[in-house]
Amino acid sequence: MPDVVLQDVAKHYGPAVAVANMSLRIGDGELVALLGPSGCGKTTTLRMIGGFVETTSGCITVGGRDVTALPPNRRNMGFVFQNYALFPHMTVAQNVAFGLEMRGVNRSDTDRKVREALVRVRLAQYADRLPRQLSGGQQQRVALARALVIEPDVLLLDEPLSNLDASLRQEMKIEIRQLQQSLGLTTIFVTHDQDEAMSTADRMVLMYNGKVEQVGPPDEVYGAPRSVFAAGFLGIPNLLPGQMLPGQQGFRLEAGPVLRLSGQAAVAGRCFLALRPEVISIHAAPPSDAENCLAGRVEIMTYHGSAVEYQLRTDIGLTLTARAVAPGLGGPALLPEGSRAWLSWPATAGVTVSEN
Amino acid sequence: MLAAPGLVFVTLGLLLPLALMLRNSLNRYDPSELMISAVTAENYLKFFGDAFYQEVLWRTVWISGLSTAICLVAGVPVAYFLARHVSALAKRMLLIVILVPLLIGNAVRTSAWMLILNDKGVLAAFLGLFGHEGPLGLMYSAQGVIIGLVSVLLPFMIITLNSVFESIDQNLEDAGQSLGAGHFTIMRRIVLPLAMPGVLAGSVLCFILSMNAYATPVLIGGPTFHMMAPTVYQQIAKVMNWPFGAALAFILMAVTLILTVGVSVVVQRRYRKWSE
Ligand SMILES: Nc1ncnc2c1ncn2[C@@H]1O[C@H](COP(=O)(O)OP(=O)(O)OP(=O)(O)O)[C@@H](O)[C@H]1O
Ligand SMILES: [Mg+2]
Repeated sequence: MPDVVLQDVAKHYGPAVAVANMSLRIGDGELVALLGPSGCGKTTTLRMIGGFVETTSGCITVGGRDVTALPPNRRNMGFVFQNYALFPHMTVAQNVAFGLEMRGVNRSDTDRKVREALVRVRLAQYADRLPRQLSGGQQQRVALARALVIEPDVLLLDEPLSNLDASLRQEMKIEIRQLQQSLGLTTIFVTHDQDEAMSTADRMVLMYNGKVEQVGPPDEVYGAPRSVFAAGFLGIPNLLPGQMLPGQQGFRLEAGPVLRLSGQAAVAGRCFLALRPEVISIHAAPPSDAENCLAGRVEIMTYHGSAVEYQLRTDIGLTLTARAVAPGLGGPALLPEGSRAWLSWPATAGVTVSEN
Repeated sequence: MLAAPGLVFVTLGLLLPLALMLRNSLNRYDPSELMISAVTAENYLKFFGDAFYQEVLWRTVWISGLSTAICLVAGVPVAYFLARHVSALAKRMLLIVILVPLLIGNAVRTSAWMLILNDKGVLAAFLGLFGHEGPLGLMYSAQGVIIGLVSVLLPFMIITLNSVFESIDQNLEDAGQSLGAGHFTIMRRIVLPLAMPGVLAGSVLCFILSMNAYATPVLIGGPTFHMMAPTVYQQIAKVMNWPFGAALAFILMAVTLILTVGVSVVVQRRYRKWSE
């Protein structure tokens, strides 16, 4: 299986920039997720790789072969569309056979390969159904079988799970990952769901405004977001603006106080301390030995069963979210809304992220 | 209840004249008394006994079929291009341009075609620039009539086809392309089968309109080129033979109905499997 390399690839629609100078290498057999909010250029990037959208500049190579100018029908890539795009007038088997027919595969080989592909996605008994007689998940698997049966060099999926309900999504997620692993397919898939990206991809590419914001394995990106956008997109609600003090031992909040830091990366100028709600402890009385502590009032208390989430308005004017283990599971007693509370966290907690 | 006024209107406006025509077609014609009340098949027998009228019907059918086919062949690329490659604003402008011919009265437009097609006309002068000599022979000919009919019918075809093409998901074509199909194969295997209801509707519309065309055959075809609608008019208004005119009208209607329903049934049977 070949690798896919994007070199300074850009797409402009008139003055609007959908994708700006993107460079990326997707390794042989790797599964990469393009992740980002709506309109950030994920689909455009994927469609440029597939050949459906012409690049404004830059070049795309697959296994060292320049495909930038090739039409989609000569790229040998499998594409799974968000709405599946199954041919409504053809049966499941005819849909899957289409790509083989286009390649001039003979009748008996086609039949055999179609059967194998349908067995692989567990739809053998549906071969003669029409797409509209299938459930969403089944249609999804037909689309997958249709894209895989042509033995593509690269598999491209555009939000393949977005039309499925939660449990089916979980199931298909695992299925796609298993298929991709067993075939060793170089795969790029688009999603705006960070859980989906983190649980399936080898690496994720976080995009924002047509640019790559951060690339890395899910744990790395999740553990160390590099920008306010990345931190916010990855679900860190506490972003405290301020500035690092020389020596990286302290962080001067714009709201006044200096927090203790330990081990965070140095960031020059205005930056943010990103704190996950889980690392903040909540107390009904001032803690005695906290490295960092802020006092405030509980604004909202949300009970989640195993955890309790508190939103606090601190005395210095910042709003912070803390997540505590539920009282029944060894956590502190519930603090009702309106009550006074103290938040604390260790100096090693949190990451510093730059402003942009 | 709400359907009642509509039903009454349809009954009075459509069925009643039809019933009257049917009744008239069974009457007897007399040169001095014109129409005599009777129940006779002689008007229909006259049609089937006279090769001239059968030839008129046959000519009407093949001219209509050929015009419809030309509209289809010319309309598909234009409608597809409009649906896929033209921005919304430009499309609105182009559709207006396409529709303008329909805003001009039939007779006026056909007269313009006469100016273009006749042997000393615009087309002859234009071809003369390239060294063409001698009469074009388009006026008073089947070719001329077909050109005239196509010019009227093409807009109907393009508009009907354009709306079906637009309703076809572009992703289906992209999917076909990613599976290795070229443009021609995508058109043949994916777009046209899915557009079949529109192709059928547009063709039926064009066929019915040209089966009943009046101004074009009269003005471009001239006095010796006979098609059904002018012949019906001639019998009723000139010869004053109402019974025979009514019988001709009935035959025209029946043939049109049988052919369009027949073709629709055949086509739909082929595509019914998934479209129902
Ligand atoms: N054909 C087009 N013409 C003009 N602008 C376009 C076109 N296609 C996309 N864009 C713009 O390019 C940007 C990126 O679009 P894209 O579809 O790649 O986003 P996305 O990340 O896939 O978003 P979503 O999650 O909503 O699908 C958007 O701002 C969009 O408005
Ligand atoms: Mg998208």
